[in-house]
Formats: sequence, structure tokens, C-alpha cells
Amino acid sequence: MSLIASNLSFKPGNEWHLDNVCFEMSKGQIYTILGRTLAGKTTLLKTLAGLISPDEGTLTLDDRDFGSIPVWKREVAMVYQQFINYPHLSVYENVAFPLKQRRMQSDQIKARVMKALQQVGLDGFENRKIQALSGGQQQRVALARSLVKEASVILLDEPLVNLDYKLREQLREEFRNIFSSEASKDSILIYSSTDPVEAMQLGGQILVMDEGRILQQGTSKEVYENPNCTKVAQITNDPAMNLFEGRVENGRIILSSEIDLELPQHCKGLATGSYIFGMRAAGITLNSTGFPFSVELSEISGSETFLHIRHEMIGVVGLLDSVQNFNTGEVVRVQFDTLQLYVFDQNEQLVSSPYRGLE
Amino acid sequence: MAKIELQNIAHSYNPQSAEQNYALNPFNMTWEDGGRYAILGPSGCGKTTMLNIMSGIVQPSEGKLLFDGLDVTKLSTSERNIAQVFQFPVIYGTMSVEQNLAFPLVCRNYEKPAIDAKVNEVAEALGLQELLTKSASRLTADQKQLISLGRGLVRDDVAAVLMDEPLTVIDPDLKFRLRRQLKEINQKYRSTLIYVTHDQNEAMTFAENVIVMDAGRIVQVGTPKELFERPKTTFVGYFIGAPAMNFFRCERDGDYSLRFGGNTITTQTSLTELSASQLKLGIRSEYIKIVDTIAQNTIPARVQRVEDLGNHKLVSAVSNDLDIKVKVNRDTSIPAEQVHLELPAENCCVYADEILVQN
Amino acid sequence: MRVLYTSLKYLAVVLWSTFVIAPFLWAVSTSFKDFQSVTNGATYIPWVDFEPNLEGWRDLWKSPAQGGVDIVEPFFNSVFVTASGSLISIILGTLAAYALSRFTFKAGFIRNGDITFFFISQRIMPPVVLAIPFFIMLGKFSLLDTLAGLIIVYIVLLMPIAVWIMVDFFNKVPVEIDETALIDGCNPLQVFYKVVLPNSIPGIIVAGMFCMIFGWTDFFFSFILTFTEVQLLPVAIVALNSSITPWWSLSAAALVSVAPLVLVAFIVERYLSKGNLSGALK
Repeated sequence: MSLIASNLSFKPGNEWHLDNVCFEMSKGQIYTILGRTLAGKTTLLKTLAGLISPDEGTLTLDDRDFGSIPVWKREVAMVYQQFINYPHLSVYENVAFPLKQRRMQSDQIKARVMKALQQVGLDGFENRKIQALSGGQQQRVALARSLVKEASVILLDEPLVNLDYKLREQLREEFRNIFSSEASKDSILIYSSTDPVEAMQLGGQILVMDEGRILQQGTSKEVYENPNCTKVAQITNDPAMNLFEGRVENGRIILSSEIDLELPQHCKGLATGSYIFGMRAAGITLNSTGFPFSVELSEISGSETFLHIRHEMIGVVGLLDSVQNFNTGEVVRVQFDTLQLYVFDQNEQLVSSPYRGLE
Repeated sequence: MAKIELQNIAHSYNPQSAEQNYALNPFNMTWEDGGRYAILGPSGCGKTTMLNIMSGIVQPSEGKLLFDGLDVTKLSTSERNIAQVFQFPVIYGTMSVEQNLAFPLVCRNYEKPAIDAKVNEVAEALGLQELLTKSASRLTADQKQLISLGRGLVRDDVAAVLMDEPLTVIDPDLKFRLRRQLKEINQKYRSTLIYVTHDQNEAMTFAENVIVMDAGRIVQVGTPKELFERPKTTFVGYFIGAPAMNFFRCERDGDYSLRFGGNTITTQTSLTELSASQLKLGIRSEYIKIVDTIAQNTIPARVQRVEDLGNHKLVSAVSNDLDIKVKVNRDTSIPAEQVHLELPAENCCVYADEILVQN
Repeated sequence: MRVLYTSLKYLAVVLWSTFVIAPFLWAVSTSFKDFQSVTNGATYIPWVDFEPNLEGWRDLWKSPAQGGVDIVEPFFNSVFVTASGSLISIILGTLAAYALSRFTFKAGFIRNGDITFFFISQRIMPPVVLAIPFFIMLGKFSLLDTLAGLIIVYIVLLMPIAVWIMVDFFNKVPVEIDETALIDGCNPLQVFYKVVLPNSIPGIIVAGMFCMIFGWTDFFFSFILTFTEVQLLPVAIVALNSSITPWWSLSAAALVSVAPLVLVAFIVERYLSKGNLSGALK
């Protein structure tokens, strides 16, 4: 079963909320839509649900037209970021609602509802009132309701973003179990997020979205190792990938009058010229024989330290794998691991990556 | 800026009755002038109550509040000279950005040149110079939050700037930049910043000192490094760090050794004084090493899952029914099935009845 | 000092309550008087100043031929007209309010907010402005002096109240709940009555209460638009004023006219005290 979108476009005012969106998704897989706020993720999800009618484009599911089916007849389920449940119904009635709509037999309804509640860890909660539940529990009810329908497409719009940090971690762990059951293993799971680490953890394919456009679709490994443009490189990394301008000349990379690096193997065929170079924080470390940079800020994160440093026009963030304190203005010596260097052309498109070499 | 002292502060919902129901248990706390603090804890732990007591929105049922030695417990919020930034942007929709930032100074009858200078300074620090003349209601959520922050920072005579989860609505990569700007402002003006959050990552990267709270009690106060390496209770070990600390139930096996699941682990903590039955060994996933050979303090385990998190890989392993999480560098090779995990003695923490044993 | 302050507060409350309740108590005691007790100087407390009798009350259902005042038919006319007018106003008003809250209307420069204001502005207008137009319109359709004509006029007057209260109420229900119901298989009409309406019961009760109050106490339109065939209660009571005013049955009739509203107030007050209506009242 596959969901295919072609040229979906939606421009309600002056801005493109969806700009020529195309993708193909297969059943039993999880897809993460990764992008900043206002990238168009919620608009895309609402279009797939049928709440928004795109100006142009088609949606087909298994070669049947999906886009013209009205919302209430589409086989979709959706979970919102705000905890949305029916306030006048109990937990059981909330989860049973879509099945009652479908006029299912009450014993069948009961079986499915109890199973869904068990999957999300809420057995025993059937008769509680929604207002009496905590945020995490309310969201679990919403999740259970999305599961009972055994819909072809399950849409999750940043469902964990309003929960406590630790609760978020816990629920993400449980997600794997919740969505691998018999019932939902044939569904297409579409999850939107702004957090690249969350996208990686979910483990499925990632669609990177920005300003209404899908910039790249691929496995998390593929998108991580070979981002196809600078925007993707920034969106898929936390902290964002360091980008700096430089030139390739005479077999060396020249970043400034004092900084030049040897051309690594995967860049050997580059023509002379100006490029945009990218490197993750992990590739920039301290070395007593390195280039002088002045410290602007240091942040301790767990057992590591993020170092914000500057040399003339080049401002980057480096990662040290121990906890160290620095004073603002202190000069440190920094080395760049050229084996982790990415090269983008002046149009911000990928020219060479450490994993795949020259394009 | 002022030194803030909380003496025997407590807040209860029924102060009259004999058995008090404390939202905030009695405690003492001193906030040094110019410090950068974070109050960290799960929802409902009392952190917002503590913040509101300091700003004056809530009157504590017990205790005294002193600013630079002056008793301000009975004073109203405006008399206390506090700036507070909330989770959601609070802006004056009818005014321009510039007018919004100038408002606190205009209300206090500052001279126009002084107001302009200060507004420009803060606008530059937060990257708002381009938007000064625009109407505040037309901005995006994160720009509005920047204005909220700016309004809190524009007065440099305040006792402290209190922030209640101010970066919740901000994108992850912008969060990084904002934390940096807050730190720069703190270093430049030596303004006391107190930051309330449930996100342990934010607390750890932002603050010099973190106050960890749970269920109305202060559990530990310390630097991020102390909290990470030597959490005082198993709750702190669970709450700080992603993933949480690994805990194993174990028994005494000598003066410095513990036994669990057939393994003997030597620690650097003396166990001779202990009579407690509930002993736990705690070690962070960052410190566990994957080794080739069996040596002291290594345990055998079976790899269940490896998650690719971008910069790191998270290995979930099992040893005799005990779940272990190990965080390794992306480049580390991980055997497919059986591994040997080394638990270095210097990173092992021993907990008796959930409290760290220190000697 | 504190004691003095508190006792002054209580004294003020007692005085004000007495001032408010006094007319009712007067009406109650007058309704049990007869001709003698009323005309021979002021009398106050039954059994002490005068002998109570039920003449005033019995006269309420005796026809004028028998010496009574007969407000039974006007009473039931009022009940019917108020109830039907309020019910239809609430139904139409709630549907209109839902549309104004959820759908976007655009006609030239006119938007949802303008349409809502148009409804509410009907209540700003002094009623007397509508007197002649209604008279002429009902006359053309031979609806003067009929119950149906009155009900139509009441719907025009009461629906804006329903719209006003319900639009605000619906705006407070997040639109994501509607969307979830759509996704769960409800068509738009089912979303309205299965999901949004049950969550707006407090609003409907408040709107209903206001409609009933304004409908029941209306004197102006029921006076102008009815003559002989149909008479509503306020008009009937005012008509009791004659050369010899039967003060006792007048008081009894007045109390009877207040009774239904008091009953409604008691029922709604229980709801109010549960805090359910905290957002609805303006």
C-alpha cells in the first residue's frame, strides 16, 4: 500500500504553505516530517487528513484517489500537540467514539478499546473524566483513540512537545511498542517534529521540510550522512551544522588569511573556486597545534562541552568530550577534522560529503 | 541587581490546620548577585510557586524574603523591582517593538536619550534592530518572545530577572542562540538570572548553579558538573542527563565491592558503615565503555538495539535481566550480540535507600 | 475598630436587603387583604393589623362577570409565547452562532465580525423604533392580535441575545475538537450536535434564561400588537387599573407573574453555583 502525493500546493495568502510537495510512502513505516516552526508541517498533515483542500496537486492511496474523499470518510487518525479529547465524555467513551460513529457492535468496540488502552498504559482508567487526568495521560487517551480506528494513515503533529522533558523521553520509548502491534503495523505513521534528535530516534524515514517545500526524503542515516543542501544540513543537526565560506586553491582549503587546511581525500577533485564548507560541532576540537580562536561562550551538556569560538569572520561551535570551563575572550587552539568536512557550492547544494565523496 | 535571600520560606494550602499540606516545604536559599541559576523539576514540583513567591505574585504562608537585606515579603510586585518573563510572549499589541521595549523605562520616567540608548543595546543583543519600528502584533511567536525577554532585560536596576520556561515556544536552533545571548547579557551586566524549566538540557547548559526540585522539596543544589557526576539521590540521577542514569540493585560484597547479577564491581566508596538493605549502583551511560576483553569491573551483556542519534549512538543492552543503556561515539564499532561493558570505578555511585553514599 | 467596621458592613447589607425585599413583602401582604383593610389606613402584618383572606387570590380565575379578574388565559398565553419564542430563538441563534464561529464569511468588505455586530446591534436600538414597522408588517399579513404574530416578533427580538452569548461560547471551544470529530467520522452537522453542543450546555442555559426574561417581561410589543383576541400577562395586569383598582387581586396577579421567573432563577442558580457558567455571563 502506498500513499503518493504529487505537486501539492497551498497558498492561502502571500506565502506558500505547501509548495509543490511530492513524496511516496509505504505501509508499515514511520515517516518523520522534520522542519522548523512555520515550515508547513502542520499544513501538510492537515491536508493529508482532509481538513485543508490544496489549491493544486493530487493524493492517491493504492492508486485510488485519496484527496477528494471528505474528511469524515477518510481512513485517517490524528493526534494534536495540544491535548485534544472530548471533554464531555469519559476516557472509555472518548476512545470508543470513532468506532461508535462507524456503528460497530458494542462487544467489538469494547474489545478494541480495552486493547488500545492497554497499549498506551491506561488500563483501569476507563471511567475517569478527562479533566481529572494529567497532560501525559490526556495525550495517551488521544493516542489510544488514534489506534482503535486501525486507520491507513496515522498523523501525529508534534504530539510530545507540550509534555515534560522526561515524560517525552518515556513516551518516545513506548512509541516503538505502541505502534508495532498487529493493528497498526499496516498503517503509515507520519510524525512531525522540530527536533532532529527525536527524528533520528524514531528511526524511520525523514522528510526535511522548509518554507512549504520538501527538501530531502531519505532514511535517517542517508539524510544525516548526505544532506543535499545547507538548509538540510542545518535543520537536521542540533546544534546546527557550522557553515563557513572559503576557497579551494592549489590543493588547499583557505578559510582566512591564517587558516588553511589540507584537502581531504573526498574533496580531491574539486575545482578551484569559492565554496561553502560545513562541519558538525563534533569535528571541531582542541589541539595545541591548531588555529587560534577566541572563546565567546562555553556550555556544559552532560559530559561534554559546547564551545562557541570566533576567528575574524568565522564563528563556529565546537564539541569537547569532557567538561571544561573557559573564560570569555580566552584564546584556544582549534583543529578541524577535514575527514568530516562537507562542501556545498555557491547555490548551497551538496558537492562533496565524507560518506559519499564528490557528487 | 541584588542578593536575594529566602529564609524559611514555605507555602501551604491550609496554613491554619495542624497537618500542613505543603506545596513548597520549608527551605532556605540564597541567590548571589549576578549569578545564573536554574530551577529544574517535573511539572507540579513547586518551581513556579517558588518563582511567584520571589516576584510577589504569591504570598508565602511562612518565611521571609530579603533583597539586599531588606525585608520585601509584604511588598507588592511593582515595589519589589523584579522583571519576569513568562512562557508565552506578553507584548503590548498596539505598540511598536521599540515602544514595547521602552515601556518599563517610560513608566519609570527615564530620560529619552537614556531610553533610546538602552533599547538599542538590548535590541542589538537579541537581534531585533531590524524590527524596531514594526508593530509588535505582526511578529512570529519567537520574535514576540524575544520582545518579552527584551522588556525583562532593559531595566538594569532590577533585583533579578525571573524567567518561567521562556524558551518553550522557540525553535531548537534558535534556542541555542538565545541561551548564548542570555549568558552574554549576564556576563556583561552581571544581572541575576533565574530560569525555571523542566528541560534538564536547558538547565544544565544555561546555569552556573542548578536547583533540582521534586514534590515541593529541594533535592539538590549544585553546578551542572556536580549534578551530572555525583547526583545526590536516584531521582536526580534519573532526572538529569539524557538518557537517565543506569541503576542496578545490588548487595554488599566486601568493603568497596558490590555484587549484582553474578558480577562483582569495585567502587571508590567505602561500604563498611552501611546497614541499609536497599543498595543501588548508579553509573551514567556516557561513562560505560565497550571493551574487547574481560577485566576488572566488566560485565557481559547482550545487545538488543542500537539507535543512531546523529552525533552519538545509543546502545540498549541486557545483562541478566538488567537493562543497561550505553552512549557511545558515532564511530565506535559495536559488536552484534555479545559485548563486554566496563564500569569504571571512579564513575560508579553507590546509593543506599535512594541517597548517595559519600565518604 | 475591626468590630465596628464589620458591624457597619452587616448593617448596610441588612438595610439594603430590606429595601429590596420590602416591595415583595408588601405585595404579599396586600394580596391577602380585602377592601376594608386597604382603604382604612395602612396595615402591615397579617393577623395583627388585619384579617387575611383569599379573596384576592380566588378572583384571579373568576371571570369578570363573577367579579373576578381572570388572568388565567393571559398567563398561559404568556407562557406559550415566551416559551416558543425563546425555544425557536435559541435553536436558530445557536445555529447562526456556530456558523459565525466556525466558517468564514466574506461579502465585499463584510466579514464575520461585522455580521455578529449586526446581530448584537439590534439590541442597542430603542424598541420604540420598531413599533410602527412591526404594526404595519403584521397588519399586512393579518397577524395582528394573534399569538403567531407575537411569536414572530419575539423571535426577532430574542435571537440576537442567543447569537451574542453563543458566539462567544463557541469561540472558546477549540476548533481542533471539531477537526478531531470530523476525522473520527462525523459529518459537519454531527460535529455540531454530538460534540460542540454538549460542551456548550452552560451557554445555552444562560442564553435561554436571558431570552425567557426578556420575553416574559415585555410589555411594549404585547401592548401595541394585541387588542382583544389575545392578551398577554403584563398587559392584563396593567389593565386591572380602573376607577376602583382591586389592589388585592392586583398584588396577587403581580406575584403570579413574577413566580415563573423566580422558579427559572432557582433552577439556573443551582447550575450557576456549580461554577459551570463562570464564563458565560457578561
